[in-house]
Amino acid sequence: MSADKSTQRVTLTSNENTNIEVDRVVAERSMLIKNLIEDLGDDVTSAPIPIPNVNDPVLRKVVEWCEHHRNDAVQSADDDNDSRKKTTDIDEWDQKFMQVDQEMLFEIILAANYLDIKALLDVGCKTVANMIKGKSPEEIRKTFNITNDFTPEEEEQIRRENEWAEDR
Amino acid sequence: LSDLLSICTSQQLSFVHQFVSPLLKKDPFTTLPDELCLRILSFIDDPKVLVRASQVSRRWRDLLSDDMTWKNLCVKHDYQRRMSEIEPPLHPAEVNQPEACAFSPQDHEPASHGFSGPLTSTSLPASFEGSANTRPALKSYKSHFKQRYLVDAAWRTGGRNTSRNITQDGGVVTSLHLTSKYIIVALDNAKIHVFDTEGNPLRTLQGHVMGVWAMVPWDDILVSGGCDRDVRVWDLSTGACLHTMRGHTSTVRCLKMSDANTAISGSRDTTLRIWDIRTGLFKNVLVGHQASVRCLEIKDDIVVSGSYDATAKVWSISEGRCLHTLQGHYSHIYAIAFDGRRVATGSLDTSVRIWNAQTGECLAILQGHTSLVGQLQMRGGTLVTGGSDGSVRVWSLERYDAIHRLAAHDNSVTSLQFDDTRIVSGGSDGRLKVWDLKTGQPVRELISQGGAVWRVAFEDEKCVATAEKNSRTVMEVWNFSPPEEMLR
Repeated sequence: MSADKSTQRVTLTSNENTNIEVDRVVAERSMLIKNLIEDLGDDVTSAPIPIPNVNDPVLRKVVEWCEHHRNDAVQSADDDNDSRKKTTDIDEWDQKFMQVDQEMLFEIILAANYLDIKALLDVGCKTVANMIKGKSPEEIRKTFNITNDFTPEEEEQIRRENEWAEDR
Repeated sequence: LSDLLSICTSQQLSFVHQFVSPLLKKDPFTTLPDELCLRILSFIDDPKVLVRASQVSRRWRDLLSDDMTWKNLCVKHDYQRRMSEIEPPLHPAEVNQPEACAFSPQDHEPASHGFSGPLTSTSLPASFEGSANTRPALKSYKSHFKQRYLVDAAWRTGGRNTSRNITQDGGVVTSLHLTSKYIIVALDNAKIHVFDTEGNPLRTLQGHVMGVWAMVPWDDILVSGGCDRDVRVWDLSTGACLHTMRGHTSTVRCLKMSDANTAISGSRDTTLRIWDIRTGLFKNVLVGHQASVRCLEIKDDIVVSGSYDATAKVWSISEGRCLHTLQGHYSHIYAIAFDGRRVATGSLDTSVRIWNAQTGECLAILQGHTSLVGQLQMRGGTLVTGGSDGSVRVWSLERYDAIHRLAAHDNSVTSLQFDDTRIVSGGSDGRLKVWDLKTGQPVRELISQGGAVWRVAFEDEKCVATAEKNSRTVMEVWNFSPPEEMLR
């Protein structure tokens, strides 16, 4: 009875009880969902899959990413290191995709982590890393609206401790 | 709300923007769990960015003190070894080997095991009495990273250099060793000079009556040989000659030790001799070469020798017999390297050959040099060769092809050594150059003028070279250790 995988559709339910219907292959970009479907068998494709930790806008965003990357080779847990070495490499589509407000960006990272979509998690983390790069401490604070909670003495001490890495 | 905004003036909108935009910003490191914050940090490979980030706020500082981040950074920068995990070498630091022969056979496997990785014989001594080199074991990857980063920077542009005349006249340096305790220089004028690792003279070993052409240190012991055919055993700490061992009938051209009690010499008389240096007694002779034995290398019970008869031989030390004769070169063999599995030979026929030590089979012929290949070192999956054509070549031992071809010197490459990070090469053009092993790019010229660079040896934070300058023989020592105050 197992129908052709490529034509199967599954329904995902966000924590706001909204449903999103996607191709099974798209949903299976998420290792969490993939394992769930495999564990429960094909029956699960007829019933909605609850995603209790993710709200509707974020889930839609994640699904959009999965749609675009539906044909990517699945990253195995082991080649973690190789792909992660190229630190700043984010392809153009992903860069555009990540042009969202910070709240959404962090929500995507959390969702990617929860749903176990390693490639999306890495794109999210790289995006944040790139927002940190090349900035002074004050510029980083501005970027993320962070309050400097060091005392002037602490600040001076930590600056001195870290002088070694500055250009000499 | 959109109706309201649409009737605002641009000044009002600007105010709204200023008011709203910080509200849209959020500290990722207070929003996300630690695990994800550290994942973000793992994508940063510039220490400058990390130390700046640590100055943002307390939360950021605390996150950045996580040692895993610095461990990752160590991995990314190939700062594999953690100083505090380095044990004292079982074998004395044997950095450079006598003559044009190969380098340390005790360079271990490729540096691919992360932090359980190789400890080279040239690592810093962990126990070192009364020396300025003693440094408390580093406690964290961050401090390890910092130290290695500063050392790297010093190799590129800094370091402290001292220069000292060894002779008032010329004198060719035939051999140079840098160990954890000594710098030892042998000359063709029969003298052996012993210095501390800072380059301060300790003593001169006198006894040989003609040029010293080979020597090998082991802790406080030095074994030497030369034109007078004697093999001498010295106590480096006192300068006393412990034994004079006779047997060779012509110049001793190469010397290595297989353990603390055993030295093996190769001679122009075509033989190799095995000596018990504790008793000073001759143990065995390995006969078979048809011409001068020019170079040898030892690993465990196997000694490999290269000869002017164009062959190399693989011998069992305990059985005293030849296991394989490696035939294929068309001319003299000048250099040999051996890692226990593979033998590399460099020849006057301009080629380099790789052999299987177990079977004696020739695995590859590496072509490219246009003249004698007199220098070679094997380390992990990499072979570096230097020739009389002035070029230095980096070869992959996995693919048996050239990774880099460096137009290193105008004349012969007289000496070279490499580690995980860099190659240092000396030439008869009087230049001493540092290269990046991975990229093949020149990093620095440590000596750029003078007669000729005779020998070079280096370890993580130190480099020693002997050269001719104004027809005098000089020794230069560079120290790349960060100043103590920088390490706190």
